Amino acid sequence: MQKFLSFFTSFFLLCGISTAYAAEEKIIILNEGMWQADNGRISYIEDGEVISNKWFRDINNIKLGDTPNDIIMVNDNLIAIAINWSNIIQFISPDGRAVAATENVPNNRKLASDGEYVYVSSYGHECETIDGYKYFTKGFVAKIDISNFKVVGTCEVGYEPEGIALYKGHLFVANTGGYAFQEDHEYEKTVDIINTDTMQKINSIATGVINLYGKMSQSGRYLCINSPGDYYDTPAMGIILDCEEALAGNPQPFQVLPYACTYNCTATDGSFLAIGSRYSYYTGEYQFNYITIDPALYSASGGAEGLMESLPGSLSEIIVKMTSPYGLYQNPYTGMYYATDAGSFAGAGVLHRWDANGEYLGQNTLYINPGHFLALTPDSWNTSVGNIHDTIIDAGTDTEIYDLLGRKITHPAKGTIYISKGKKIIY
Amino acid sequence: MQRSDASALPACGILFSFLFLLILPVSLLAQDLPVADDANLRVDTLQEVVVKGEMPLATRQILSGKELQALSTTSVADALKYFAGVQIKDYGGLGGLKTVNVRSMGAQHVGVYIDGVRLTNAQNGTIDLGKFSLSSMESVELYNANKLDRCQAPSEFASGATVYFRTRRPTCDSLSTQLRIASFSTYSGKLNLQTSRHGWQALFDAEALYTKGDYPFRYRSQYEDTVGRRANNDIRYYRAEAALFNKGFSSHIYYYYSDRGCPGGIVRRLSDKYTNVGREWDSDFFIQASYRRTLRDIHTLLANFKYTNEYLRYCTDYPENQNTAKVNNHYHQNDIYTSLSYAFSPADWISVNAGYDLRVSWLTADLKLFSPVRRQDQKGVVAVDVNYFGFRLDTSLLYQHYKDFTVLHTGAADPLQKFTPAVTLGYEGNNFRVHAWYKNIFRAPTLNDLYYTQAGNRNLKPEFTTQWDIGGEYSLPKGNWSISAQADIYLNKIKNRIVCLPIKGTYTWSMMNYGYTYCRGLNLNLNGRFAPADWNFAFISSFTLQRDLDRTDPESDLYNRPICYSPTFSCGLTGIVAWRTLSLTISNLYVGSRMWSYADPDDVLKPYSNIDLKVDYSHTIKGKYTTGVTLEIFDLLDVQYEHVPRYPMPGRNIRFTLSFNI
Repeated sequence: MQKFLSFFTSFFLLCGISTAYAAEEKIIILNEGMWQADNGRISYIEDGEVISNKWFRDINNIKLGDTPNDIIMVNDNLIAIAINWSNIIQFISPDGRAVAATENVPNNRKLASDGEYVYVSSYGHECETIDGYKYFTKGFVAKIDISNFKVVGTCEVGYEPEGIALYKGHLFVANTGGYAFQEDHEYEKTVDIINTDTMQKINSIATGVINLYGKMSQSGRYLCINSPGDYYDTPAMGIILDCEEALAGNPQPFQVLPYACTYNCTATDGSFLAIGSRYSYYTGEYQFNYITIDPALYSASGGAEGLMESLPGSLSEIIVKMTSPYGLYQNPYTGMYYATDAGSFAGAGVLHRWDANGEYLGQNTLYINPGHFLALTPDSWNTSVGNIHDTIIDAGTDTEIYDLLGRKITHPAKGTIYISKGKKIIY
Repeated sequence: MQRSDASALPACGILFSFLFLLILPVSLLAQDLPVADDANLRVDTLQEVVVKGEMPLATRQILSGKELQALSTTSVADALKYFAGVQIKDYGGLGGLKTVNVRSMGAQHVGVYIDGVRLTNAQNGTIDLGKFSLSSMESVELYNANKLDRCQAPSEFASGATVYFRTRRPTCDSLSTQLRIASFSTYSGKLNLQTSRHGWQALFDAEALYTKGDYPFRYRSQYEDTVGRRANNDIRYYRAEAALFNKGFSSHIYYYYSDRGCPGGIVRRLSDKYTNVGREWDSDFFIQASYRRTLRDIHTLLANFKYTNEYLRYCTDYPENQNTAKVNNHYHQNDIYTSLSYAFSPADWISVNAGYDLRVSWLTADLKLFSPVRRQDQKGVVAVDVNYFGFRLDTSLLYQHYKDFTVLHTGAADPLQKFTPAVTLGYEGNNFRVHAWYKNIFRAPTLNDLYYTQAGNRNLKPEFTTQWDIGGEYSLPKGNWSISAQADIYLNKIKNRIVCLPIKGTYTWSMMNYGYTYCRGLNLNLNGRFAPADWNFAFISSFTLQRDLDRTDPESDLYNRPICYSPTFSCGLTGIVAWRTLSLTISNLYVGSRMWSYADPDDVLKPYSNIDLKVDYSHTIKGKYTTGVTLEIFDLLDVQYEHVPRYPMPGRNIRFTLSFNI
């Protein structure tokens, strides 16, 4: 009976996604679950309604794995999910079907992609590649070829690398050294730059800021990087890093934010939004900040301008009441805002939704520890614009490019979906 | 395959047990009972199964003597699971941590005592009951709230529930050895020496065990069909202990060493390349002495002393470890405890007890950002017991004072001092008693709670429990049969639960006070014994009906939801049939379904019936040597249940024991 129901659920889900009606808001959210409980799950939401809180299970009849950490769109037909404790990079199609999985990338953390390769950071010290196992003293970044889902290259970086972003053929990898309080090394303070073609580290930016841990957001040439500090003497703060300046050789291509950016995201206007939480083991107390950063202005002014201690609309009013904020996101297609609350970590997390003006829309119940978002293309975009074309426009091309909200983009980011000449393309 | 039938197993298990119980009286009637007219016949009856005629005021459950030995047990934790209101948390296998939780208060609210002296662990407050063997124990007693002896040490008043292990006092000279082989490459040997001379009794007990622990498991559901063998679940341990008694003097020396793997949860993996490889080494030593003397039934003096040394090493620094930090940490604890109590009983109807405890604990560890911590724990108690024509009143006021000393950069926690009361009212009649009691007590934050690097919080408040109980007991001893029944309804409230959470949006985990629990329940015990001639029949049962609710946040969806891992219903049914030196014991432990998260109705641990079977036979040669053989089958129905999700228990396994006694 369960199989029968499951089959029909899956059938209707698939039908519903593809044909039933045109959904404008399509959001996938990763629920991390509990560590070692094998209960990582995917929630799928359409137009404010939770279609399923075990979407991957419904469609594939298998479990996702233990502690999924990150999810990205690889190309129009492929999504990658880093599943930390399962040592798997799971690939699915946008309708949720499992496509393939790359195994034995231990302790994987965050993902980036240029549409052909997926790059994943790892705290581990070894990785299976097409050339056999590679071993590392510190952490590493693995390059996965999506034509065969094998690891085709690796590069050693700092201890416990976390956030990873792609800009003009280079990976920017934030190192944490997060095991410093347990292992025999100190916190890292660097952002490593890797050439994606050669998978060689070409530079290491000394930021002077320790433990560059957590979500890293990208807005064109700018990165927003969080540092939770060490929870004792070094407080949490953030970094706005200019990738363009870094590639140009500027020895200090960043500005340090005197605010925590614990949960951050990129807004559709190119700014960064961040919820910051500072904790001290000395006092046992928390300090929160809610900020909006215009990275271009902030960088150009040397940190004097471009930062507001507020979030759009009523976001702050709701978020401040949360027990455990766990994620922040803006849908690049609809402009809607989202924030999740993990609550007591034993119950279902809650998704809060706002419209593009920051007006509160309501909440949905998800699963345990929901924290990682991915918006899918609205159905109307698929019907009016058509599927992404295979065109990959090289960086530096003079073609006029617009983002998915129709705004002209002057600094497109590689691997991102844009519109050019009436077609969706991957830059 | 087995998992798919699991839903039918609880009913099957209960049915099995009840069928067995139904068969018992039929068997009795069907037997042509032999008459013990052969003077030379050595009859080994279960006389120690006698339900005690005494009627203590406290709410208690006891397993002792052959009743205790008849159970299929590996450690003392296995014995405790037969008590009402007890939940065992077991991560599976011999190497897994085993803790006991009474009436859902949490393991750290249970005080564990050996011969009246408390086992402590200032570092984490939890006693791993897997480290203690029943082979040297005479009885296991569980008291909800206080034991209510005339003269007790203050620390005996300082926990929500108390478990007492009483070491066997030898009555003759004996030597016994035991060799055991069991499933999953398990081998063990035991040696027990006892002597009793000139008013002194001495006991020596030693044991060595090795198990590979690589039992097979299977998870089968709509979303998976996972099969495998438990990895990194081996353990090797040695235990040696000795005890010396003389009237009111008792002493105990104990040493335990283990080297064990720490298995992880079973999660989705595409290969077996990366499994948990962490290992743990424990070395525990204690020496204790206790002296109790009563003068003219008026003055009673009790003095205790104990020194404990514990060492723990946890290591994940292996090349195979790719998933967690590579640590190699060593923890050392030293603990000195001394206590003096005095009871004054000027008349039969009143007794006053006053006592003082001092415990000093030192913890050192090679953790980063950690410095040695010393804890000074002082307790004082005044208790009054009034017994007037069957009416009893026992009241106590406990004072506790904790002060820590450390140069840790977070600083020491502020000193903690509290008064906590307890009151018990009762009436004792012919073969029955009724009682009602109230107890307010707290557990102080442990040294880990306060100071552990990147988790400890020096600002923690103590975790308070408030308990109410009303109940009664009836026993009817009649010649060669007896029955007893005991029932209690209770209400517990726990506030400021100490938990570790990454709450408030930080990435780091921290200890904090978070949670309020409201628990109502019913405990019921029914026991019976019938011993005609060479036969002996015994029945032990316990039932727990409990509603354990989360009342942390009235605004939360979780408000009034059942607490995770707490079953609404559980019961233990044990039947013992013995004929001369041949005995058969069958026990069924049923535990109802338990939620393990609030997030989804599917997040439920299935109910299970764990049926154990034990057949024991011994033969005496020339009235001097006794050889014995024991066959035990654990989890007869191969349920392979879980206490913790994704930590499967071993399933059906067999143990075969040969013993030789002089």
